[in-house]
Amino acid sequence: MDRRRLSLGLIATLTMGFTGTLGFAGAKAAVNKAAAPKRVQVTGEIIDTWCYVTEIMFAQGTAHHQCAVWCALGGIPVSVLGKDGKVYMVLRVEGDDTSVANPKLITIQTSEVTVDGDLYVRDGVNYLMVNKIADNKGIVNLTQDEYGIQPFGK
Amino acid sequence: MRRIFIGAGLIALGVIANAQAAEEWGIDFEKKARVEAKVVDMACELTGNCPDNCGNGKRQLGLLMDDGRLVPVIKNFDIFAGATNDLIKHCNKRIVADGLMISNPKMPMFALQFSKPAEGGKWSRANQFGKDWSKANGGKNSGQWFRTDPVVARIIKKDGVFGIPGLKAKSE
Ligand SMILES: [Cu+2]
Repeated sequence: MDRRRLSLGLIATLTMGFTGTLGFAGAKAAVNKAAAPKRVQVTGEIIDTWCYVTEIMFAQGTAHHQCAVWCALGGIPVSVLGKDGKVYMVLRVEGDDTSVANPKLITIQTSEVTVDGDLYVRDGVNYLMVNKIADNKGIVNLTQDEYGIQPFGK
Repeated sequence: MRRIFIGAGLIALGVIANAQAAEEWGIDFEKKARVEAKVVDMACELTGNCPDNCGNGKRQLGLLMDDGRLVPVIKNFDIFAGATNDLIKHCNKRIVADGLMISNPKMPMFALQFSKPAEGGKWSRANQFGKDWSKANGGKNSGQWFRTDPVVARIIKKDGVFGIPGLKAKSE
């Protein structure tokens, strides 16, 4: 059984060795190093990644603003929740490629922004290098009447 | 008597030895996981822009798995805190990461609870953020760090809890 699997593997390796070494190496590189980024424009709300993705609490809008500030200061990645429903983790903002408790990101928590950036999609995660905050409408998602102060109240 | 003593000692040792075992947090898509992987600066891994020492704690770090998968580590054991302070000392080194693999389709990610160098050594609990915060704040207990953090206080005083000065909830 093991031997058969081994020999099948050997045949596959040899076949590829003859026909597709370059192709295979290319594909592997694409997996390990993300493909060239895609220029994108994303509009959405600046959110705390952990609370939003895990749904441990209601994590959008004014109700969650304070918690989003806590989490960003605590060094949790900040993301843009796009109008397309996707979460874009921000790893750079306007030439500043620090992404842990970056004051530029903390101070725009919960704001609705439109950003131009380079998008790297890898292993199910959208990583966004923001080149420019093209627009910032400030905080427009008012959720405090419905959800109060998340998570602890006052 | 002596045998009982030794037995109790062994149990205690066992408890200590197992103390680093990950706990479940009741989060959707979570699975307890112990993985060996390399700690990487994710922006470096993605773009090739690689400053010294993975950005010295100012860049988000991830686990590069042996199969080539990159998994962001976005949480540690402290409340409302990430794991950069726990991982930075392992920059570009292999570790054993113990915690939760959260395979959420919105964003797969890892919550770090314990780590140790892959080459051996002691487990450390992923609570470096709290330790560092305490050191930076006159030895104050970090259990409720967000309640007394001066930067938080400044931001909330300026913008209010909802981020808009003067805004109130209906129920208030
Ligand atoms: Cu939260």
